[in-house]
Amino acid sequence: MKAVFFKGSPPAGRDPLSNRAAAAVSALLKSRGWETKAFPLAAMDIKACRGCFSCWTRTPGRCIIQDDDQEAILRAWAGAERIILLTPVTFGGYGPELKKTLDRVLPILLPFFTRIQGETHHPQRYPLPRRLLAVGTLKQEDAESEGAFRRLVGRNALNMGDVETTTLVFSGDASLATMEKRLSQEPFFGAEAS
Amino acid sequence: MSSRKVLLLVASPRGAASTSKSLGDHLLAGLEERGMALKTLPLYPALGEERKMSELLAAVDLCDLLVLAFPLYVDQLPAPLIDLLRQIAERRNGQVRTGQALAAIVNCGFPETTHCRPADDIVRLFAVQAGFRFLGCLATGMGGAIGNRSLAKAGAIVRHQRKALDRAAAFLCENKEIPADVIALMGRAMMPRWFYNFVADRGWKKAAGKYGSSAKLFDRPYAGGES
Repeated sequence: MKAVFFKGSPPAGRDPLSNRAAAAVSALLKSRGWETKAFPLAAMDIKACRGCFSCWTRTPGRCIIQDDDQEAILRAWAGAERIILLTPVTFGGYGPELKKTLDRVLPILLPFFTRIQGETHHPQRYPLPRRLLAVGTLKQEDAESEGAFRRLVGRNALNMGDVETTTLVFSGDASLATMEKRLSQEPFFGAEAS
Repeated sequence: MSSRKVLLLVASPRGAASTSKSLGDHLLAGLEERGMALKTLPLYPALGEERKMSELLAAVDLCDLLVLAFPLYVDQLPAPLIDLLRQIAERRNGQVRTGQALAAIVNCGFPETTHCRPADDIVRLFAVQAGFRFLGCLATGMGGAIGNRSLAKAGAIVRHQRKALDRAAAFLCENKEIPADVIALMGRAMMPRWFYNFVADRGWKKAAGKYGSSAKLFDRPYAGGES
């Protein structure tokens, strides 16, 4: 099983809860023996998307920005069967550490339109039977933020080709053991290494 | 007449040549007619520029009405805007600045406005957490049909959006929430969905042709790439 793990925790020390969640996910991935590529996004040089659409027209499938770390992410995403997004829930959405790389994954889509559940979306450039796991952390329980986060992940899942999705939110002082136990119960991690 | 200050923050990498700026400008014209003092700042030139970012944050502190205008990126706000909102909220540290209000304008390239709902959630939650009174989020699909033209030059296709922005200005000027019918008007389709999709598809092919890459549109440069 090929997995890509986007670690969207803020820089080290700023968010212990998010770091614990990242450690829990890493432990699960290791225990499953999946072929995993993990990206510690806060430490990576990923420039802002220019909104130029060169990745669809001028250099189809490749981003025009070539002097940063994003290409390795696109390469990993193209072949991944499992995608894991981890982020502190930020105003009900993703933090900038995760979002900066997601803004730059447009090359893995095609520019044309298709219909999914009655809505317009872009077809996948690398269609694979993928699954998505989104793990959010909240310093305090906040039903409104959690609800917005879950809705956002649902929208992302549609744009990724209506992939099967699991969303988990850890809040408060959830321990590493609690997180590992909760994650291990998810069908997302159920399949053995292939 | 109002003497309140409005700050339009254009959070598109395309800056002055963006649909976000065109939509924001139209709203601002309506606010100016009603006596509001205008200021427009682009976000992207301030990225990595400490002095410009400080000026931007100071302008946010000083305005009475902050208007965020941005394109939808992967179902929500572009990353640099999220980063900015986090900085604003952290600076305030839960302290409410009474009297400040927030509104947003979001556009997406899909024909359906539905795609913009998470962005509405996010700006609303930011407003709550940073101490702004949230006055509403105006969302429109088919943003690609506007391009970088002013709404006046975009013609009849944007008649609903022009009217919605004009009506919204009247409410925002009085520090009132934008009514649901105005938000719905902003989200009305500019043209039939099939036609928008047809034109968009042709547009991508034409653009690729300009770069000599028509035959590469479906390329998979990372096929077989390692995970």
